[in-house]
Amino acid sequence: MPPNSNSPLLSPHPVYTTPMAIRDDEIIQIDIAPMNRAESAYLPATFAGFATTMRHFFTSFGQGRTSRTMQYPEERREDMPIEQGGMNYGNFRGVHRLNRDSSGRVRCVACMMCPTICPANCIHIEAAESPWDDREKYPAKFEIDELRCIFCGMCEEACPVDAIELTIEYSLVGLTRQEMVFDKEKLLSIYDATVERKPM
Amino acid sequence: MIEMIQEFVTSQLFVSVHVLIVVAHVMLLTTAYLIYVERKVCSYIQDRVGPNRVGFDFGQPALAFLKGKFGLGQPLADGIKFLLKEDYAPSRVDKVLFTLAPMIIIVPALIGFVIIPWGGQWQMGGPWTLPIIGSLIGPIGGDLVHVVGANVNAGVIYLLAVASMGVYGVTLGGWASNSKFSFLGGLRATAQMISYEIPLGLSMLSVLLIVGSVMPDSIIAYQINHGWLMFTQPLACVLFFICILAEANRTPFDNAEAEQELVGGYHTEYSAMRFALFFLAEYCHMITSCAFFALLFLGGWDLSFLGFGPHAFDPVATSIFGVLAKFLVFFGKVIFLVSIMIVIRWTIPRIRYDQVMMLGWQTLIPIALSVVVLTSVMVYFGQTGMVPMIIANGVLLVVIMVIQPMLRSWLGNPTANRKIPMYGSRFNPMPGELVNTAPSDPIALEDRPVQGTRPAAT
Repeated sequence: MPPNSNSPLLSPHPVYTTPMAIRDDEIIQIDIAPMNRAESAYLPATFAGFATTMRHFFTSFGQGRTSRTMQYPEERREDMPIEQGGMNYGNFRGVHRLNRDSSGRVRCVACMMCPTICPANCIHIEAAESPWDDREKYPAKFEIDELRCIFCGMCEEACPVDAIELTIEYSLVGLTRQEMVFDKEKLLSIYDATVERKPM
Repeated sequence: MIEMIQEFVTSQLFVSVHVLIVVAHVMLLTTAYLIYVERKVCSYIQDRVGPNRVGFDFGQPALAFLKGKFGLGQPLADGIKFLLKEDYAPSRVDKVLFTLAPMIIIVPALIGFVIIPWGGQWQMGGPWTLPIIGSLIGPIGGDLVHVVGANVNAGVIYLLAVASMGVYGVTLGGWASNSKFSFLGGLRATAQMISYEIPLGLSMLSVLLIVGSVMPDSIIAYQINHGWLMFTQPLACVLFFICILAEANRTPFDNAEAEQELVGGYHTEYSAMRFALFFLAEYCHMITSCAFFALLFLGGWDLSFLGFGPHAFDPVATSIFGVLAKFLVFFGKVIFLVSIMIVIRWTIPRIRYDQVMMLGWQTLIPIALSVVVLTSVMVYFGQTGMVPMIIANGVLLVVIMVIQPMLRSWLGNPTANRKIPMYGSRFNPMPGELVNTAPSDPIALEDRPVQGTRPAAT
């Protein structure tokens, strides 16, 4: 028995006495066959490796056949068909937007589902009494800290009225941290900017 | 006084100074672009594109015609970046050695090439009048000069000596950084470079035995007359190439800067221009080593086998164009060898450190020694032609292949790195032993909601 198993500090806790980790019958001893003369000089394998690298060098030379590069600012995934690795507008998780309803009002009912489920705690809502008749509450303040957000998409999963959605915008830049906390107007303007490419 | 200057300023000095100036600049520029080439080759091998944005237009619309399509401005941009970055030294480093180490490593890398005979010998035509001191000392020229930085009579021994000084920079850089990764990298580099100098010197010795001279000009002259030593000494040639890979700290022997285990190796703590000096030194070392290899085994500036005739590259060229052609041929061979080194880097994985040492001490040194013995015997019997040497090398290779398994059965298999169960540890208990695997820290047993917080003392 190890000495600390009888310590009073540990007494309420179970003492694990089964040998942990690897049992002898789980160990597989692998005896690698000794290399033959040619292999032990490593030269055949080396030259086979050269053949591989040189094949790739010549086939991808100057962005040739096997080259995998996309020239990003000129070519974008938005412009490519999905089958060729293009962006799927339906499920891409970019920056958030707040959807408007048919009369242009914010759809959000301030039910607090999204800040509850958000794993990064980046959504901050202040609810107020709704000025409209069709709902009780509406968000007086709706802020998303895009720097904290991990773009997991849980908020749009949780939303009961499809008010918050992730869009296809991914190039998200700002000069200050404060700039990256998006308020309600900003999120609604993202809706206006992206509704044509990603209808609600 | 004037007589002293007249004695001092000879046509040899005139040519040497010019060679030094030209070669130093060509070498530094080549070094910068070698980094670019390395990145490009690596990218293409890995199905990428590599640097392709930076041109020489500096973002100015007026210079748009200089906009590079192939990223040719990348070395310049890298250089500017290195110069402008903060020259940062971590606290508690040995400031003096920390500053000294990059200098110590760049100097041997840059002075190694002075004995490389880029242009052979040259019969300077006509009197040359120097622009400023010409009226003082009168015209020079008309002599037979060596187109070489310094016609050292120690010959290739000088190169060997200088190249081995590069290890000081690596070691001091690793030591002065006060970091375990740097220290380990420096230690590895020291042991490795010292070990691989032995087969390097031995394989060079087997060449010098055949040539009978250490002067670069004699080595090239021998190869023009008797064929390249690559064919006469194939085993020494392969050994030498492996050793210069290890000397230049290139893959598969770059354990000193193994990124996966040592962060950056001996230059982990270096940044800005000090790091750039380490980086440049590595590439300068590559060029010097490859020039050394081309000199010893590829005939230097000799291309006579291509049908240029024995007089196309006459050792005593009479025109400066002959010298330039020789320089270009030599440099082409160096670039070819450096390309092979680059492809090797992106093909062969790094071997484990004990394997590096085992390869050095158990394989390369015995083979190099036996090649030296073989060459001595062949020189004694006067059979140093290409055919007898190739036959002898083949016989030696067969003998090594036959003897090696006999040695293996005689000495027993090496037991290093065989998996030995560590009985008695917490994870591998002795048979029947009971082990408490609960954490011994009582805090670790408490129910804590969030990692890293301790419950408040009540």
